[in-house]
Amino acid sequence: MSQGLDIDHLAKLARLNLTPDEKKLYTQQLSQVLTYFEALAKADLPPTADVAMVVDESALRSDEPGKPLGAEAVTKIAPASHDGQISVPRVVDDES
Amino acid sequence: MAQEIYQLSATEISQRLAKGELTSRALVEALMKRYHALNKKVGAFTHLDEADVLAQADASDARRKAGKILGPLDGIPVGIKDNIAVKGQPLTCSSKMLAPLVSPYDAHVIESLRAAGAILYGRLNMDEFAMGSSTENSAVQKTYNPWDLARIPGGSSGGSAAALSAGLVPLALGSDTGGSIRQPASHCGIIGLKPTYGLISRYGLVAFASSLDQIGPMARTIDDCVLLLNALSSPDARDMTCFDKNHRKQLPEVAAKSLRIGVPKGVLGKGVGAEVAAATQAAIDFYKSQGCTIIEVDLPSSDLAVPTYYVVATAEASSNLARYDGVRYGHRSANAKTPIEMMTNSRSEGFGPEVKRRILLGTFVLSAGYADAYYVRALRARSKIRAEHLAALEKVDMLLTPTVPTPAFKAGEKVSDPLQLYLEDIFTIPANLAGLPALSVPCGKSGHLPVGFHLVGAPLSENKLLAAARLFEAAHGFANQLPTL
Repeated sequence: MSQGLDIDHLAKLARLNLTPDEKKLYTQQLSQVLTYFEALAKADLPPTADVAMVVDESALRSDEPGKPLGAEAVTKIAPASHDGQISVPRVVDDES
Repeated sequence: MAQEIYQLSATEISQRLAKGELTSRALVEALMKRYHALNKKVGAFTHLDEADVLAQADASDARRKAGKILGPLDGIPVGIKDNIAVKGQPLTCSSKMLAPLVSPYDAHVIESLRAAGAILYGRLNMDEFAMGSSTENSAVQKTYNPWDLARIPGGSSGGSAAALSAGLVPLALGSDTGGSIRQPASHCGIIGLKPTYGLISRYGLVAFASSLDQIGPMARTIDDCVLLLNALSSPDARDMTCFDKNHRKQLPEVAAKSLRIGVPKGVLGKGVGAEVAAATQAAIDFYKSQGCTIIEVDLPSSDLAVPTYYVVATAEASSNLARYDGVRYGHRSANAKTPIEMMTNSRSEGFGPEVKRRILLGTFVLSAGYADAYYVRALRARSKIRAEHLAALEKVDMLLTPTVPTPAFKAGEKVSDPLQLYLEDIFTIPANLAGLPALSVPCGKSGHLPVGFHLVGAPLSENKLLAAARLFEAAHGFANQLPTL
């Protein structure tokens, strides 16, 4: 089952850069883990998953706005901010 | 011989504070002295704000003087695993990704501890984002087992377990996704409880695998464990999986001597160390001698637990950890011209090897073409494991196994073999998959290393597990044992 392990594709989906050595290592380790997972493929399992977990009485809170942290607290922990807003690299290219 | 302050259980401390024989300031000063003497050697704490601790202790002493104490925990320090948010304190999950982060808010359990007057005492080392079984995946520092400093303390709550057994703090919070409270508790000779899923709010616990994660108490005696558990468990609308009633208050006390204890077929066989098997068998024999009924139970899907866990946990982790994008908090790469580059470079620089490995595995099991074969089958296997456990727990009050197959291994011994390390959790994982309460109790030694046994009960049967453990504790000398350091 582990034949489909395309490490470049996975790294792209997961937004990770991997060095050639990391790619080699992770491919080998993940293949080993996936081989171990084959017990799941062979097992006799119920047709569907019981999605109701232990908590059957899960409480939904009333739909009222809570007290937010506020711009000051939020921008204080942000890597970069400007005028009470979080700043990031340019998202839209210049028209040129 | 008079006990040193650091040797006292939280329950004894509480009594001494109440009688006026000890002040909270004298207590934290004694503990900070021990911290300065030993923390470098053990590596349990990654951060301790001493001025803040002293201010909290003085406030508690002032409350006591005014006759306004907030409960039995008032003035007692609780060490906090570094994935539980405390306002104004670092919240790093022992990761470079969150190294710069100071929490702007309190977790629900922290609000509860503040309301109980407990002293929030430092940040405890852990495997990065709680992923690991040895605390060797911390990006901050190594933690060593106080019983043998060449060995690992277990993980991921290794800092919490090591701090307790080194006498650095009387109580600690851990979190448990597949055994992260119970496995280090077993390796360090202390008590660790993973409560029923939903008993304790996860609000303010940094998410790893949300359907498995639970915060729980770690302590050196059962009474201490109960003291802390009672303060942690309360309804919280901010975690929709948290029970909306306080079930702790409704649980009856239990007569331990009439319990029916289930022992899974063949559990002391393959892969279990001889001395671990002997200590576990001695615990089973003890319960039999006390009048408990021992019943062999069949859990045929046990072999599926580890693969099921690693599919479900990594799938949830790959999704939960997508939030670390360098935008709002945590590490942002200095080398990025576009938003995509910023996200990819920040994540690649911030996450350590085990976290990357699990994100990649989780991404794979959820990816198009593979989700049905892995993730959906794992959910079905999880249902089966849960159903088998609930059926077994209708016939018996609890299941008894070793907590970990073998005692603490040497630092570095299993670093290069992730699969070997995943098998550390073979006995602890089913309780997370099934949402059941589970407790590790010290029960002897393998050579000089502590060994624990493991009790798993039906949902909300914490009191039964604690009663059974208390019966064992009272008849043996394993409670509140500290190694010589």
